[in-house]
Amino acid sequence: MLLWLTQVLATDIRAFNVFSYITFRAVLATMTALIIAIVLGPRVITRLTQMKIGQAVRSDGPQTHLTKKGTPTMGGVLVLLSITITTLLWADLSNRFIWVALMVTLGFGAIGWVDDYRKVVRGNPKGMSAREKLLWQSLIGLVAATWLAFAVPAPSTEKIWPLFYAWLQSGLEMNLPAKSDLIVPFFKNISYPLGVFGFIALSFCVIVGTSNAVNLTDGADGLAIMPTVMVGAALGVFAYVASSAVYSKYLLFPHIPGAGEMVVFCSSIAGAGLGFLWFNAYPAKVFMGDVGALALGAALGTVAIIVRQEIVLFVMGGVFVAETLSVALQVGWFKWSGGKRIFRMAPVHHHFELKGWHENQVVVRAWIITMLLVLAGLSSLKLR
Amino acid sequence: MRARANNYLVSAKANLRKAQVKALRAGRSQNQVVVRAWIITMLLVRAGLSSLKLR
Repeated sequence: MLLWLTQVLATDIRAFNVFSYITFRAVLATMTALIIAIVLGPRVITRLTQMKIGQAVRSDGPQTHLTKKGTPTMGGVLVLLSITITTLLWADLSNRFIWVALMVTLGFGAIGWVDDYRKVVRGNPKGMSAREKLLWQSLIGLVAATWLAFAVPAPSTEKIWPLFYAWLQSGLEMNLPAKSDLIVPFFKNISYPLGVFGFIALSFCVIVGTSNAVNLTDGADGLAIMPTVMVGAALGVFAYVASSAVYSKYLLFPHIPGAGEMVVFCSSIAGAGLGFLWFNAYPAKVFMGDVGALALGAALGTVAIIVRQEIVLFVMGGVFVAETLSVALQVGWFKWSGGKRIFRMAPVHHHFELKGWHENQVVVRAWIITMLLVLAGLSSLKLR
Repeated sequence: MRARANNYLVSAKANLRKAQVKALRAGRSQNQVVVRAWIITMLLVRAGLSSLKLR
């Protein structure tokens, strides 16, 4: 909205042209999101406390977590508010990627909200059933994936529907342009053409998978939010490169016009995440709950699809992947072996806590690992 | 000029230290004070990096 206003003002005062630069708006988006989160934070926490929206704690978990019982949860509302307001203020709202990213984020946030609400307010410990949750996630994921299958290769918003009709007229056999191929990082000449159905299937898996992976990681103070901030910021760099004709050509990336607005979106994720961490740092005053975790994971997945960096997301989000794998391995091995366990407890951060690591040590070490993985991911910009 | 810059740096560090001590005395946990200082630093680094392009 402010971009539109500054464009109007720039016709009279040239200084306002500075707002047309994505990098400038990205800095402002970070600051705005952080300030919104920090200013609204205490009010949201007070409100959640008044509404008695307190976290339930697993009795079989680490004993140190029992003191967390009653800490307000659903703080993800604060993150979502901050991201939404900031994006609406600083992003180009005519961009074809902004709305899909925002809708996916808010849609997954709504699923998480219903789940949290049933668990915490209505006192139903099961919340949303796994099947119901997956149904809604799949619905949003499939709609977004189908839209992106044509929005990513289309050079502009006007060309999305013609591309879709051309695919229909070809009897669903037309291949997508090369820019929607799956890019293999660190290799100059290897990319896999996915086709429309392959693109939709992969995008669906990335959105739903990342969303659930972040949700599983969200089990210690600051464990999920800081890696989200780091991965989000790094995806912003990829978005900047993909949107620039010069840099994308130099670094051998597909040029995706319009992906630059994702830099503003990623910056708002980073700012809102840091603002939330202000209150979520150990000992946390608020937890994000499913409303925040599902939404942020889905947002990261959506941005990774738009900038064609699904595999790099897998690398940079290694902590999320490890947490998810630990749960899958634990459950699989438990069933296979008739009751034996690989980890003392899953997700794996609880395993380390039960081994005697302090919660804060587990969290900061996960941050350090994510920093290294993000650097490895960013190195794929040049190393290929 | 350099001495003046150094003086600013020393005074900034002293102010930050004072703010940290004040926060600890106000009852915030050490970890919260540290993480909040990191967040502020990250923000300042972001502002600093923006000077690469904005000039």
